[in-house]
Amino acid sequence: MKKILSILTILFTFSFTSHSYSKTEIHWWYGNSGFLGDVIIEIANRFNASQDQYTVIPTGKGSYEDNMAATIAAFRAGDQPHYSQVYDAGAAIMVAQVKNGVVIGFEDMAEKYGIKVDADNYIPGIKNFYADSDGKMIGVPFNSSTCLMYANMDILKKVGIESVPKTYEEFEAMAPKIKAAGYIPLVQSHFPWIWTENFFSRHNLLMTDGNNGYDAVPTKTLFAETDAFVMHWKKVKEWYEKGFYGYKGRAWGDNQAPFIAGEAAFWFGSAASFGGMKGVVPNFTVNHIPYWDSVTGGKEYPTFIGGAANWILNGHTEEEYKGLAKFIEFMGSPEMDLYYHNMTGYSAVTKGGIALAETINFYRASPYHKAVGEQLSLEGSTIPGGYRAGNWPQIREVIYENVEPMLNGKISIEKGLKNMDKGAAKLLKQFAKTL
Amino acid sequence: MKKVQFKSSYSQYLFLAPQLGILLIFLYWPIIQTFKDAFTMQDAFGFGATFVWFDNFLFIFDDPAYFIAFKFTIIYSFVITLITGSIGLLLAVQANNVMHGKSTYKTLLIWPYAIAPAVVGVMANYFFSERFGLLYHLFHDLWGFNWYESVFDSYIYVIIAGSWKQISANFIFFLAGLQAIQKSVIEASMIDCKNSFRRFWTITFPLLMPTTFFLIIINITYAFFDTFGIIDTTTIGAPSGETRTLVYKAYMDGFRGLDLGSAGAQSIMMMLIVLVITIFQFRYIEGKIHYN
Repeated sequence: MKKILSILTILFTFSFTSHSYSKTEIHWWYGNSGFLGDVIIEIANRFNASQDQYTVIPTGKGSYEDNMAATIAAFRAGDQPHYSQVYDAGAAIMVAQVKNGVVIGFEDMAEKYGIKVDADNYIPGIKNFYADSDGKMIGVPFNSSTCLMYANMDILKKVGIESVPKTYEEFEAMAPKIKAAGYIPLVQSHFPWIWTENFFSRHNLLMTDGNNGYDAVPTKTLFAETDAFVMHWKKVKEWYEKGFYGYKGRAWGDNQAPFIAGEAAFWFGSAASFGGMKGVVPNFTVNHIPYWDSVTGGKEYPTFIGGAANWILNGHTEEEYKGLAKFIEFMGSPEMDLYYHNMTGYSAVTKGGIALAETINFYRASPYHKAVGEQLSLEGSTIPGGYRAGNWPQIREVIYENVEPMLNGKISIEKGLKNMDKGAAKLLKQFAKTL
Repeated sequence: MKKVQFKSSYSQYLFLAPQLGILLIFLYWPIIQTFKDAFTMQDAFGFGATFVWFDNFLFIFDDPAYFIAFKFTIIYSFVITLITGSIGLLLAVQANNVMHGKSTYKTLLIWPYAIAPAVVGVMANYFFSERFGLLYHLFHDLWGFNWYESVFDSYIYVIIAGSWKQISANFIFFLAGLQAIQKSVIEASMIDCKNSFRRFWTITFPLLMPTTFFLIIINITYAFFDTFGIIDTTTIGAPSGETRTLVYKAYMDGFRGLDLGSAGAQSIMMMLIVLVITIFQFRYIEGKIHYN
């Protein structure tokens, strides 16, 4: 009994000491791991060191999907964090939750607590992706990437190619040379994101009805009825058969591995892959993703924002939201924005951050940081800067389910794309019922 | 015999309470919730729940991916039961015959059972990686093995990953079964029959039937439910969802896709499948088993 008592005493002392600071705690959940997770912790540490009223406690929940599932479960249990990082595919779900009082929109928050970094401070393309249909910002832009093309310049030099391809036509012309030298010309890491969603944005094409879901709740995807997409897929299949494109399964890393090992000339990945690749791959460049000249008529269009935003969750005290407002302000400052941009390769998201980069000539020192911002802020698009389609994580699954049979010829391209449309339509219908 | 009576008529409830409480909280409450989810449609955060009768069930029956998962789960549990059972039995018989170092063999063969499925999956990953996997390259040289494109090859991958650890469970139970057989029966059979192979199948194996029956159930439930971690760390369902078990599909739809209605309906289907299998086993197989 004495033993138990002493253990209890120790436990109590500990539980009291941890609360002995009277700082207000703000919980921030995120879905990055490894190096990107470390940078998030560093951001929180810097904020905590910058003032002594609030403590931001970052908690990694695994992947984006894991964090979203954890956030939802926590909300249902009444134990949600104040701030949570939710990825692009989950944006439609989060925006739809404002009316249920789950999410507090950023603009409402900024107004109520006088956050100095208001909506206008964020660059337009990024701002619109996480806004509702009236253009009011809901999510707070955070890690914003897009798909980019990484090129191994040593391989290109070896086979006598001087510049990286701007278009798929150019790629097609140089692929046999690369293949003949014993390299894989192209690998890419995410079929739904790079070669579906961003195929449409890159070519200024609508992906779903209802103006990508911005004007009306979408009921179908336009995969099979978009000629350019069918053409692209036929080309992908052809490249795959000729060995111009190497498919290494679904996992992001397995497709990146040949590029890292110096076996592949080009790899399509995320802007944020940059940080991890510096110093590992000797001589690489970061470039815009190619487009079909024949589809756009020589014009280059921007891609969608990838990555994630932070979302403010309801159900906490005034004092805590005051602290969160301070934290949002801190993260939106030019210095922090540029710090994050520099560390990770994600785009700078604020006008202030970009202006600061210009002032200090940042892009001259590190030209590879430039591609992401450039590609995202290309002009001339007539389609919305994103898509608002619910159940999108599952639609990505449907896309993947048809990729493999299409590549190995089990089903035709037309059939595969129709299957995708059919599966997506069912899921969109299902989502519409929950609205 | 003298009956023991408790004075208080409430004390028995007090003693039952912890057990009943655990059952209610961890078993019945989730089941009720599952039924609730399966018959409603709601958004990810639980808002706008509407009662939709059997819509969620119709939705999964209209989904080709569900039947692919169903087919795979049946094949997977059958093959895993067969492989782990036979190898486990073979090892148990051999270990039982060993004279020296018996306990060393035993310990070494039991070890893998202590490893979590997810860890097994990560280990299998090393063997089947395209970049440095020993088995990948061995099979690739033999017949062009490529698990993310060929359904057959992906089956091989998850079957090897799923069987390895479960062989240990089969081994230990078979060994215990063998040691429980009375020496006199074995000695008597040795006098009657010289052929050890025939002796095994006519005397030893029938006496092992209760163990076998038990292991079949254990193996099937293992393949149904516990292989989740293995699938998640190996193929993630590739190619095109062909190696997704029903549990994995329910997880993907419920926790990745955030469609709790569909996941609930799938859980109830799973419950029915397990119910049917168990009834079948107890009805038709158990009758043929002699426990003494």
